[in-house]
Amino acid sequence: MEKSGSIDSLGSKRSSSRQPSVDSLSSTSTSRSDRSAQAKAASAMSADSAATSTELSPELRVKPKTAAKQVFRDSDKEEQQLLPNETVQDVAQDVTYFCPFIGAMRGTVTVTNYRLFFKSMDREPAFVLDLPLGVVSRVEKIGSASSRGDVSYGLVCKDMRNLRFAHKQLEDTLRKSIFEVLVKFAFPVSNGLQIFAFEYGQVFPENGWKVYDAVSEYKRQGIPNESWRISKVNDHYEVCDTYPSTLAVPVNIPDEELKRVAAFRAKGRIPVLSWIHPESQATVTRCSQPMVGVNGKRSKEDEKYLQAIMDANAQSHKLFIFDARPSVNAAANKMKGGGYESEDAYQNAELVFLDIHNIHVMRESLRKLKDVVYPNIEDSHWLSNLESTHWLEHIKLILAGALRIADKVESGKTSVVVHCSDGWDRTGQLTSLAMLMLDGHFRTIRGFEVLLEKEWLSFGHRFQLRLGHGDKNHTDADRSPVFIQFIDCVWQLTRQFPAAFEFNEYFLVTILDHLYSCLFGTFLCNSEQQRLKEEIPKRTVSLWSYVNSQLEEFTNPLYVNYSNHVLFPVVSLRHLELWVGYYIRWNPRMRPQEPVHQRYKELLAKRAELQKRVDELQREVTNRSASSSERAGSPTRSITPVQTFV
Amino acid sequence: MLTGSKTTFKVRQMLPDIKERMLSQSGVSARSRDVFGLRCLPGECVLQRAVMVRKKLTAREGRGWVSGTLFCTHFRVAFVPQDSPKPDDNADPVLLGDHDVALASIEKVVVVGPNRTKLVTPNSSLKFTPEELVLYCRDLRVICFLFDRLTPDAQVIEITYTIAKTYQPPKPGSVLSFQNAALGSVEMKQFLSNRRRNTHMIWFESASDWEQELERCGATGWRVSSVNDRFEMSTSLPRCIVVPQKVLDTELKKSFAHFNEGRIPRWCWRHPRGSDLLRMASFQNNIYHEKDDIRNLEMILFGCQSSLCVVVELGEELPSPADIQLAHSRLRALCLGDISTSVSVPDDKWLSTLESTHWLDYTRSCLRKASEVACLLRGGHLTVALQEADDRDMGCVVSSLVQVMCDPHCRTQHGFQSLVQKEWVMAGHRFNSRINYHRDNDKEEAPVFLLFLDCVWQLLSQYPSRFQLTDDFLLALHDSIHLPLFSSFLANCQRERCKRSQNPGQSYTPVNGWRDVLHPDSSSDSSDPPLPSVWDWSLQYSKHRRDRFTQPVPPIPPLQPLLNGNLNTNPDTHRLTDTIPGSVFLLSRGTFSCPSNLLPWRSGSSGVYKKSHRRAPSSENVPGLERLLKAWALAEFPQGLTSTSGPQGPLDPYEPLLPLLMGPCMGLWRECYLRGALHAQAFSHPISANHPHPVERLAREVQQLKDKLAQVSTDPNPPAKTAEPRRTDTNLNQNTNNGTFLFPASRSQSTTMPRATAPPPTSTNHQTSRGPLSASAPSSRPGHKDNGGSNKHTFLFGHSSVAEARPDQRHYPAPNNAKLPKSNGIQTAPPHDRAL
Repeated sequence: MEKSGSIDSLGSKRSSSRQPSVDSLSSTSTSRSDRSAQAKAASAMSADSAATSTELSPELRVKPKTAAKQVFRDSDKEEQQLLPNETVQDVAQDVTYFCPFIGAMRGTVTVTNYRLFFKSMDREPAFVLDLPLGVVSRVEKIGSASSRGDVSYGLVCKDMRNLRFAHKQLEDTLRKSIFEVLVKFAFPVSNGLQIFAFEYGQVFPENGWKVYDAVSEYKRQGIPNESWRISKVNDHYEVCDTYPSTLAVPVNIPDEELKRVAAFRAKGRIPVLSWIHPESQATVTRCSQPMVGVNGKRSKEDEKYLQAIMDANAQSHKLFIFDARPSVNAAANKMKGGGYESEDAYQNAELVFLDIHNIHVMRESLRKLKDVVYPNIEDSHWLSNLESTHWLEHIKLILAGALRIADKVESGKTSVVVHCSDGWDRTGQLTSLAMLMLDGHFRTIRGFEVLLEKEWLSFGHRFQLRLGHGDKNHTDADRSPVFIQFIDCVWQLTRQFPAAFEFNEYFLVTILDHLYSCLFGTFLCNSEQQRLKEEIPKRTVSLWSYVNSQLEEFTNPLYVNYSNHVLFPVVSLRHLELWVGYYIRWNPRMRPQEPVHQRYKELLAKRAELQKRVDELQREVTNRSASSSERAGSPTRSITPVQTFV
Repeated sequence: MLTGSKTTFKVRQMLPDIKERMLSQSGVSARSRDVFGLRCLPGECVLQRAVMVRKKLTAREGRGWVSGTLFCTHFRVAFVPQDSPKPDDNADPVLLGDHDVALASIEKVVVVGPNRTKLVTPNSSLKFTPEELVLYCRDLRVICFLFDRLTPDAQVIEITYTIAKTYQPPKPGSVLSFQNAALGSVEMKQFLSNRRRNTHMIWFESASDWEQELERCGATGWRVSSVNDRFEMSTSLPRCIVVPQKVLDTELKKSFAHFNEGRIPRWCWRHPRGSDLLRMASFQNNIYHEKDDIRNLEMILFGCQSSLCVVVELGEELPSPADIQLAHSRLRALCLGDISTSVSVPDDKWLSTLESTHWLDYTRSCLRKASEVACLLRGGHLTVALQEADDRDMGCVVSSLVQVMCDPHCRTQHGFQSLVQKEWVMAGHRFNSRINYHRDNDKEEAPVFLLFLDCVWQLLSQYPSRFQLTDDFLLALHDSIHLPLFSSFLANCQRERCKRSQNPGQSYTPVNGWRDVLHPDSSSDSSDPPLPSVWDWSLQYSKHRRDRFTQPVPPIPPLQPLLNGNLNTNPDTHRLTDTIPGSVFLLSRGTFSCPSNLLPWRSGSSGVYKKSHRRAPSSENVPGLERLLKAWALAEFPQGLTSTSGPQGPLDPYEPLLPLLMGPCMGLWRECYLRGALHAQAFSHPISANHPHPVERLAREVQQLKDKLAQVSTDPNPPAKTAEPRRTDTNLNQNTNNGTFLFPASRSQSTTMPRATAPPPTSTNHQTSRGPLSASAPSSRPGHKDNGGSNKHTFLFGHSSVAEARPDQRHYPAPNNAKLPKSNGIQTAPPHDRAL
């Protein structure tokens, strides 16, 4: 119950600081800010609406404790708040922002080393746009000749929106346009600057870098045991530079043999354990494709290794190998030296192709989706337009694949090996989703953080490459929304099992927002090795520090601890939905009608408070029965647990 | 106020011996009514049974399988789970158990054998032993039974044949035999004729019902006219209609001829801001307008608002019944995924196929039209008349949707039932033809009412906390439509209904006003069984399913405030009132116009009109009206909108719930249309069946807390303590309730389990039950603390004990105060503070 205390105090502080703002603003903006808190759910991101900035800066959310700051906040809440070490780089007056929903408006643009901040002058209440530069994918100058001396800039963002600004042609030709300044700070990597995460100096009560420790996570799963051991063979990332240093491998394969197996697997990504069933000992292992090539090369060590994985599970004499790719693609990989396991070489193994397409197809699908949802939605053809993007179909295939894996492990008690080509995109999606279905621990907030740290970050999903942090090369073919797709799948699961997850939708949106924002170091770099080399944990703040310092924001009040239960979602397209709360959140017409997020939080607080009160009463009873002669004169309940809204 | 009839009514209802008689009767027949664990209706006989059958559970039931015994009677296919509790012989008969399906609901019987499926018809013969029996129902359920290896083959085949032979293939005449099977026995007739009628809702059968509604809405200037008492003026209108007070019955009589089917403009509802909602059929054109007629027609049309009337034409933008029928049949085909014909839309074409049904488009257009009307009404002090050619289809949809949007009362179960009674059953929606029970009129068939239910569901899913009724209720209503047992749906208008019951029944006595002979004496009966009303839910649903029809705690407490029609003066009002009296505008396709032939008597030919009304209707306040509509369009954009319609939970409970209508906002009612989709259950859920529903879980958690508290309150020093547990207690309940109330927002996909069997008592109950306790133990703590507590949760959960504390306050409070208890509660910190 130590949580409840913090919730109470935080809640009270926040509400008391909120309340004047509610009073001072008109009723509309009040409601709007509430809704934005929920719908936009973009703490560090801006919203296309006024009065959101008040709520959005993360440091304000976490640290509203100092009274001085609150006063400051209340007095001019629409002013921009700078983060620690955030510096203003340029300010330009009289810039026009063309909002696709409300129309053009004039205002001031401020560019810092972290964000773009636009505040309208001609609207009441003021319209505010607060955009971390990390989400900018590309800045393009739009033909200036058309509109009498105006220079127009388009910002294409990674988070499903495009922004357009214009300002007058500058008379002083030497002076740079603010958007040229913006380009410099939006793409720090290309301009020899540092990503803002390295400068951001916020201190949080909790250190998120300590959330995940490989050894203790394996220990939680019961590893090492009689069949699996922890290997330090990759301690210096010599066997595989994209793998973590700590690996769980079958007990009877010595390190020397691991190295030989590595030679046969693409990029040296040998099969290692991701998850083990606590009862049946069936395992989920992940790897990359075998280097079979056109000639059908074989590797005795690899065959023996997979046999060892199968033998580690006494319940089944079969091993399922799930190849995430369509079989055609897998075969095509043979030309490049890759391929798939032939059933001749691998006795007792059954190979299944899951038909999930590659990163390029996914990128294209999301691009189409953006076209369909932003800025305008064609009502009469909405569903067929949505269908033509194939986005939900891809989501379905991924979920279906994960479901088959989970089903094999849970119902079939069979161990599975999962791979795609390199084993860092589709493989990560599949193993982490299967683990989410199989293991309730990963459905808690901290457990989910562990899952991401383990299956995505430590196993080398190439975040830097897929997202292109601070890199202006927006056409880079390595960029792809693989991780977004994963989060979307998680959201689909939360829709089907609303009480099975400790976190809420806002948590998922927050993760995606900070995937791009470059405020936290969590999603920087491509592998554990790189992160260590760049000293990311030392030099940046973890997203989990921010999250875990205000858990009540992200907690689902309907959560029931189903820890021993396996979730088998329905993966028919008939039961999947587009994640409107993420993909279409910029459209003000799409905001939900009721402030669910707000109500969830209040329910949480209420529950915590009740629990606290009960505990206190119980303590009182124990005390009293101990000294039964005393009559409780002044009640111990002077705590007055009354909601601190006054 | 004609209260006389009410008293009579009550006295008759309270006849003391009825209940006893029923009990003793069922006691006598008890033994015969329990056959192999199936509790039969009186007179019902089991035709066939099969043991060791497993039934596939839907997601809503928790998925998985339950094994038990399958029965076929001449009324239903029943399934009794193995370990179901022994039926209580003394309970009232329930037509259908939780797992049962009436024969009349079954549309297709399909058996699945090894490697094949076969559609079974009454004449078909089976060449294999089925492994699976699938019943496709008219209400879109698909019920699937699996025969175990232990089920004797003979039983399997026999029960399949029996079901195939006895279910009601769509043919005329089968309805009556079905009704007789269900209700035809002497005991059932007796039982039904003694049923007590639901007094919590208004039935709109008598004048006093209408007067009650006028009073509830605060609609002055209107009166109930019984000019149509013998259905001489209009055969499809009810006996009682509400017309302006200043129009006499004699004058009224002349106006019927001017409207299609004699359906003159009638009052439906008054918005608290003083606007009236009327509905009418289209004008009869080739009729001479006498001067007096014109005066009357204008008076009827303008009602009490002399200044402004907007005619909303429903024909153009809304789907025709034929459209609806086509869309629904496509939707059905798409959702059912018929295995007998193996035609199932592939998953990757699902979205576009769904779009091509146009069902969602039609839902949207109804909601859009209703939103427009709601916005007009909000403007205050004008008359909105819904006009449809025959005023019996879309008029029902739009007028009732408007009321669901605007009137919180209509979002309660009883309020909604009253609404359906008013705008559909009594208003003469042709249920019988539209549902086509007798399968004799395919041309007329159109599920207009189901479209309406879908619209309500859309509103419910966008504003879950503003409804007291739940989607379980809507689903129950949806399913009941397909059961040809209810008087509500088995006739096209009140006249037919009265005819059927062979009981013109009502007579006017000057002393008591309308006397309503509700139940035809069973001794004087015809061969047809008396048909119950659909609102008698206990006939169909068990207690725990009925409990799920409503949120345990109504979201907005004052469910039946007396509106005075002058709730608020809208800033826009003055713009509208300073217009020329008698302006009429047509709203069509979102724009206002005043075409010269809008009112036939004003158009040139008659000339009489021009004499009395020199000034031609001007279009000068069209902008004012358009602003009203624009307010809605803008409501979708929060920016720069200062009107009260912040879509996020307006403080005024009478602000309409305006739905978002963009493509992604229109949802598919999966719980209804996809519940039978077998492919959705491909993976059975091993655990969900014994999962606690999250709400149940919350309730349990709270119960545990309560228990702990109970321990605390057994403390040896009660005086100091009693106040404590009591208060926490109520709060705890609030908490559970709120959990429930909160839940629908995210429930749509859940693998729901039955809710906690008994809903926690409302806090009113609590006050009373706990009252003596606290009174007997005068608390040393002063009361204000308690108040603080209750105020607080009021504020938090929008469940107002403030309002409960003054139930006698029938007057609607001034807006400022009104906001406090009625608000949804969440963001109302400031008002709350002020109150403290």
